[in-house]
Amino acid sequence: MFFHIILERNMQLHPRYFGRNLRENLAAKLMKDVEGTCSGRHGFVVAITGIENIGKGLIRDGTGFVTFPVKYQCVVFRPFKGEILEAVVTMVNKMGFFAEAGPVQIFVSNHLIPDDMEFQSGDMPNYTTSDGSVKIQKDCEVRLKIIGTRVDATEIFCIGTIKDDFLGVINDPATV
Amino acid sequence: MSTSVEPFNRLVKLAARAFYDDITTKGDNQPKAGGRSDNRGIAVVVLDALTRRQWVREEDLAKDLKLHSKQLRRTLRFFEEEKLITRDHRKETAKGAKLYSAAIAATADGQQVGKEGEEKVKLHTHSYCCLDYSQIYDVVRYRLHRMRKNLKDELEDKNTVQEYICPNCGKRYNALDALQLVSLDDEYFHCERCNGELVAESDKLAAQEVGEGDDNARRRRREKLKDMLQKMEVQLKPLMEQLSRVKDLAVPEFGTLQAWEARASAAGRAANGDSSSNDPSKSSQGLGYGGTPMPFIGETKVEVAFSGVEGKDDVKPETSTSSLKVLPPWMIKQGMNLTKEQRGEVKQESKMDGTLAAPAVELSDEKKSINGNDAQSNLQDEYVKAYYAALLQKRQELEEAAKKQQESSQTLNSNDVSDSSSSRQVGMKSKRVEIDGDDDWEEAPVGASTIESFKVNDLNFEAEASGDDEDDIWEEG
Repeated sequence: MFFHIILERNMQLHPRYFGRNLRENLAAKLMKDVEGTCSGRHGFVVAITGIENIGKGLIRDGTGFVTFPVKYQCVVFRPFKGEILEAVVTMVNKMGFFAEAGPVQIFVSNHLIPDDMEFQSGDMPNYTTSDGSVKIQKDCEVRLKIIGTRVDATEIFCIGTIKDDFLGVINDPATV
Repeated sequence: MSTSVEPFNRLVKLAARAFYDDITTKGDNQPKAGGRSDNRGIAVVVLDALTRRQWVREEDLAKDLKLHSKQLRRTLRFFEEEKLITRDHRKETAKGAKLYSAAIAATADGQQVGKEGEEKVKLHTHSYCCLDYSQIYDVVRYRLHRMRKNLKDELEDKNTVQEYICPNCGKRYNALDALQLVSLDDEYFHCERCNGELVAESDKLAAQEVGEGDDNARRRRREKLKDMLQKMEVQLKPLMEQLSRVKDLAVPEFGTLQAWEARASAAGRAANGDSSSNDPSKSSQGLGYGGTPMPFIGETKVEVAFSGVEGKDDVKPETSTSSLKVLPPWMIKQGMNLTKEQRGEVKQESKMDGTLAAPAVELSDEKKSINGNDAQSNLQDEYVKAYYAALLQKRQELEEAAKKQQESSQTLNSNDVSDSSSSRQVGMKSKRVEIDGDDDWEEAPVGASTIESFKVNDLNFEAEASGDDEDDIWEEG
């Protein structure tokens, strides 16, 4: 699920950036530092949408670096248990398949794939129904439900299922 | 109402026995009461009692069930939380209680209770409760759905995290570790420690009977779940059947307490409007009670829907009658293409025939022509023709009558008299309108004959005569 929230971060700025463009430099550095990171609490920071406010800088003794407390608005993405997501399959193997929805990796084990889908090994490993009408392979899009998440300090990993109503392949680039 | 309530009551009873059979509504603060007062089954009794009532005051219910009101209230609160019943609490005086009693008396299946309590209540809070059938239907369905879904999910391992085990070193992993376990060489997961091939736990169970207690327990659990699911399907079958039976029926709706009260008392008043002396007092209470008008908004809404359904049927007769509607005389103009019904002829004629109690055929014909003439001035021509025809006939009859009189002047038969007199009357009237002088000589004998006939003739003739009298008045006016 996506959230638009306000976060705060202490930015250390090298003295060489001091000048007319101090604020711009600060914002650019913030984006470079923060976007794409993952915090266990808020999830992935997808994008910074604006700087809320930059507090008073504090010069560090000895180094000359200045610390600014910066409040910024950003879009974060955090998967939840029970959430329905659409994801792109990245890898298929005997144990199941991996998919990713943006920055999140999701593993769907073969127990959570409908029973009528069989693993077919080969050049392009895939899961196929007995009549061949539905095929899960690399790069096809699936809708899945997250049934478990593991949130580390720097990454989030999910396991999902497609063994439920309205879940499964939604678009297969190979057949289109 | 009782026809549609019955299946729902059955549903409630089945649900009560299925789900609330062993519910104890014991407060948490009285654990010592344990063995002595085992009140399991009370819930079923209460629900059964409620199926036989509509809105009921909780004290009355307690009295009927010989329960302590506290105990009953606890049960009812439980059911309220279960969304089976709706409750209403209100502060009320003796008057309000009376209103409720009146409503109770008005409902057919309501028990006559609680009359004696009226004097005691003075602005006490009273609680009322009532089964909420539509919600019960939903609640029971949802409950069944949840039960089935839970069991099935358990059975199919739907939401469980797959576990993997390394057969070499016995290290366990679960699906959340999958990302670290994938190897680029083949399509299996590999142990981080010994690089052995991992197997899914359930597969391992199937492949090699290790005899680990954990696995056996797991399998037993599966068996148990399957068994449970089957048992559930079998045992709740009557309930499910009842649910499907009830599916398309209209849900009995009692509305809020106020609405129900107003409706019930109104129905009661309508049903035995003049029967009891205390009815007016009841009705006056109903008016004095502020909530009365509101419920009837709901009532009218229902009627609107009803008419909407039958709209087709309603419109039809209206149009057909309107086409037959008699146009008022000032709207009829020369050259208008009107049916006879619109001119009001046919109707009047038929009316006349009806009132005249079927005299001789020729008479009615003559009268028709007369009426037509009187009613519509633009039918003058027809009238004249008819008039002359009538005159001619009249003359002939007169001649015949004269002959008869000459032949048998003393032996006048009553039937003959009636015939001749009535025919004469008709002819005479038609003349009287237009020509007076010619007929003068006729009047005397006619009058004599009618007087005679009054003495001898039967009811039929009298009716005829009265009909003629009306005609006279009408013509003159």
